[in-house]
Amino acid sequence: MNPIKAVGLIAALSLGSALAQDRTQTLIYGGDWSDLITMDPQISYEFSGGLVTDNLYETLVKYEGADLSTLKPGLAESWKVERGKDTWEITFRLRRGSKFSSGNEVTAKDVVYTFERALALKGPGSFLFTEIAQLKPGATRAVDNYTVVVSIPKTASPGSFLSILTFNIGGIVDSETVQKNAKGNDYGREWLTNNSAGSGPFRLVRWDRGSQVLLEANPNARIKPKLQRVILREIKEPAVLRTALESGEIDIAEGLTPEALRALAGNPRFRTLKADSLRLNYLGMNVKEGSPFANKLVREAVRYSINQDELVNGLVQGNGTKIQTIIPKGLLGYDPRTPYNFDPARARRLLAQAGYPNGLEFELLVSTGICGGGIPCADIAAKVQADLAKGGFKANVRAIANAEVLRTYRAQNHQMVLVGWSPDFPDPDGNATPWADFAARSIAWRNSWNDPTAARLANQAALETDPTKRVALYRLLTDYVLKNGPYAVLYQPAVPLGLSAKVEGYVRNAQGQVRFENISKLP
Amino acid sequence: MFSYLIRRLFFVVFVVWGVTFATFFIANVVPIDPAIAALGDNAREEQIREFRERYGLDKPIWQQYLIYMGRLLSGDLGNSLRTQRAVAEDLKEFFPATLELSVAAFLVTLLLGVPAGILAALQQNRATDVAVRVLALIGGATPVFFLAVLLQYVLARQLDLLPVQGRLDGFSIPPPRVTGLVGLDALLAHDWSVFVDSLRHLVLPAFVLGSFSAAVLARMTRATMLEVLAQDYIRTARAKGVGPRAVILRHALKNASLPILTLLGSLLGGLLSGAVLTETIFSWPGIGRYVTQSATSLDFPAVMGVTLLVGLVYALINLVVDLLYAFLDPRIRYA
Repeated sequence: MNPIKAVGLIAALSLGSALAQDRTQTLIYGGDWSDLITMDPQISYEFSGGLVTDNLYETLVKYEGADLSTLKPGLAESWKVERGKDTWEITFRLRRGSKFSSGNEVTAKDVVYTFERALALKGPGSFLFTEIAQLKPGATRAVDNYTVVVSIPKTASPGSFLSILTFNIGGIVDSETVQKNAKGNDYGREWLTNNSAGSGPFRLVRWDRGSQVLLEANPNARIKPKLQRVILREIKEPAVLRTALESGEIDIAEGLTPEALRALAGNPRFRTLKADSLRLNYLGMNVKEGSPFANKLVREAVRYSINQDELVNGLVQGNGTKIQTIIPKGLLGYDPRTPYNFDPARARRLLAQAGYPNGLEFELLVSTGICGGGIPCADIAAKVQADLAKGGFKANVRAIANAEVLRTYRAQNHQMVLVGWSPDFPDPDGNATPWADFAARSIAWRNSWNDPTAARLANQAALETDPTKRVALYRLLTDYVLKNGPYAVLYQPAVPLGLSAKVEGYVRNAQGQVRFENISKLP
Repeated sequence: MFSYLIRRLFFVVFVVWGVTFATFFIANVVPIDPAIAALGDNAREEQIREFRERYGLDKPIWQQYLIYMGRLLSGDLGNSLRTQRAVAEDLKEFFPATLELSVAAFLVTLLLGVPAGILAALQQNRATDVAVRVLALIGGATPVFFLAVLLQYVLARQLDLLPVQGRLDGFSIPPPRVTGLVGLDALLAHDWSVFVDSLRHLVLPAFVLGSFSAAVLARMTRATMLEVLAQDYIRTARAKGVGPRAVILRHALKNASLPILTLLGSLLGGLLSGAVLTETIFSWPGIGRYVTQSATSLDFPAVMGVTLLVGLVYALINLVVDLLYAFLDPRIRYA
């Protein structure tokens, strides 16, 4: 062999092995990330934004694995909640030696800066701080370099506040770097849209909108990831997602169709996963005066008319969980009981008792889009319509654009609506208050359901700090709403995923968080 | 000639103004609230109110239009409600991908359509002609998504010849963004492997997108060529002993080129206006995908921006086509 050829061959071979090595160090995660707007942790309020920023920024406290009920230390090694005169005083002790990607150490002043930043920027998720936690500017104080005290009013729930802090709005930013890149009073908002300044295991290298997000291991991070590089590849079309996974272009495909999931399940090169979500798909019944649903018996009849088992196992093909209560599986206070069994005869009796012996006709509003579990909402509405017909109802389904469904629903102009809800933060109060308290002007309000008992129970449970007592209160509340409320919960959808068998350590919690640092790839 | 150009450019301005007017009012007839579309289900009432105020959605439509036009005159396309940044920035980000894809698809159209049409015309009613006509029929009748998914399955997944989606392999490091055209950027960075990778990624979507226009063009070329070939001057040329090659290229094709050129102009316009389906199926981050997402979330400024851009491109392509007429046919004079 002549020397030039030999050198060329060696170079080619080494290049090949360098690439091969690179592949085990790079994870390509495909999915519909088209909702990405910004990488700024205090502004981002989209699922995909959370998925990325959770890996760029650390929070004071966090959840680990799939468990959303036990808080674990994050940047704070310990914390305590104390009762002040009119406030809750929450003290965080930061661990020493955590570093941002710039090399700066994470100290108390960064925490203060971050919280004030969230309040000043008023991003779409800022109500978590201002309304739920009732956090005010100036209420976060640095006692020393490693101690932060936050005061929130007695009327706010410290449990909710702590769970909000696990969310990306509580992602601590490098105050020095951010301020250096700030323009006027924007707290570095413009800069952080496309850049990162966190202490998380990864840093943002590049974001090609509509195409991909490239993350690389943060060399200064305390938590060392197993992979050097993670790429979020935007693929909207589920069929393409599947082909891309099968051809090895991506390692993980999020948002497959139930059919694709079934096909992949039989192939040893892949693993399938139905990841939990905290979403509930439900029927909302407007109980305003004059509406037939104002009568409790009619609502009971609706609940007895739905064949939930058929819905979940048939149409949804198992990409969801049967549930009837208002706190989803995965959160404290979840009640798995499903006392309403499909009983159309009973429904008809109830309907006759309510004064509708010849049945009841009404309009069912539904989005033209896709509902949880990858099923078109209109298909679910058709199934519900068929079930209700057996119970003596005639539901006229009207499918319109999702935004229009929401506008009608928000204006209390519906009779019955089929929609979904995800809590704003992983705490039972993220569902309990909106669903039970009319004054919160959320779901209970939209359905004109003003019930003081439900509202009182929800408020009481939110402020209870003893977990056992809290669970007991939520048990009471969920049972009460199940029997009296204006809802028929249909199912809790799952997120269908396909993974290459080489991918290890992937866990997606019900809040949609994935810790990339725990993922590795076999060669 | 010069005064003609000035008049035509003035006409372009008029067309673009018409486009803004039509789009703006059509978009605003839709009885859906863009604030709810942008903020989603869990948004608080105050957030929705603030959003409306921030984007001037609380004002009457005619006022919104005047504000929009005022900004437009100073070159400001406004901010997107969905991506929450300047529409001009978004277009700068997404248009190069569409440009890259549509130029490639245009080449496919030209290189397949014209030769196939000429060949069919010369071999009229013989096997080649029938084959071209059948293929053109299939090409024109096959839905884009079907062809795309079929090719993805066979060429990419089963045979592993070409990539399924995207502009670059996930394991390729994208070149520094200069023009936004990945292939060109890779060349500028002297990165040959990325350049080749980008070409490989271009093949399938360009073929899928170009096949329909190639089919249309082949049929048009065939028909026009047949017409021209039956003319007296062709017979005369042949009788004079002009070689068949020169007859076809110089005498026939040049005379057939006017209608072909007109068609090419509108085909290119169509390709550039964003191939929604092709871009979606191949995860191609172009303006077609951008505008569908914007439309479904009722993002008026973004839809307006894309419509304006497309309107402008169309008008300019038409202008160029008209100017080329004079070049191809000396009888045409612009005064």
